[in-house]
Amino acid sequence: MKKISIVFRHSPYGTTKTREGIDFALLSASFEQQVSLIFCDEAVLHLLPNQQAELAGSKDYVSVFKAFELYEIETILACKQSLVALGIKQQELAIDVQVAEADAISKALVHADEVLVF
Amino acid sequence: MNKFIVQVNGPAYGSTASFRALKFCQAATSAGHQVIKVFFYQDGVQNSNSLHCPASDEINLQQLWVDFSHSQHVPLINCVSAALRRGVLSEPDAVENNKPQWNSDSTFIMGGLGELVSGIEHADRLVCF
Repeated sequence: MKKISIVFRHSPYGTTKTREGIDFALLSASFEQQVSLIFCDEAVLHLLPNQQAELAGSKDYVSVFKAFELYEIETILACKQSLVALGIKQQELAIDVQVAEADAISKALVHADEVLVF
Repeated sequence: MNKFIVQVNGPAYGSTASFRALKFCQAATSAGHQVIKVFFYQDGVQNSNSLHCPASDEINLQQLWVDFSHSQHVPLINCVSAALRRGVLSEPDAVENNKPQWNSDSTFIMGGLGELVSGIEHADRLVCF
């Protein structure tokens, strides 16, 4: 079992990075790895409710965020600076996340065995 | 001696990720380390496309990966779902999906994301490009 931190940095639907990162996250969790997710930069936009992926020609990979608990993914961090920069308040977010300062994110990355950035 | 698993997310042409990954793999093996496998994910699956035809004075990364795999006995694994989405098919994928052609070099093995996760478990370090 390894501690795997997955960092998301890109906005929804502009690229397929987050979708393929989420696929990796769920598979890692189902292979009994200890997975943590970190949303930074425009990737915090994934956390907003009422997304309509199909309007952008994308598969809806955001609905599955509600199932993170089922996959025993307990650590989900959202970068405070990124939320502030985009004018998003924690109470607007669709799922439970910990809003984290940059130094808390750095500590989480140090704690991980492996870090993947999508 | 360390055991590495290398993940390649960039295509053969258009970004330098794949070239840097290959150079890392060559340097690691020549320094006595082991690269247990190279996993191609996202646009990295394009590296297996055997239809790449660069000009004769340019490098052909697809061929260089095949050469590296054969000389160092390092398996090259393509994420099959990432590949199918991008029109990168092995012969069995083409037959299964009723396509008359395929393009993935047979040195590249189609596998699932589980190959990446199990590789991460067995390696000392994952390096992503």
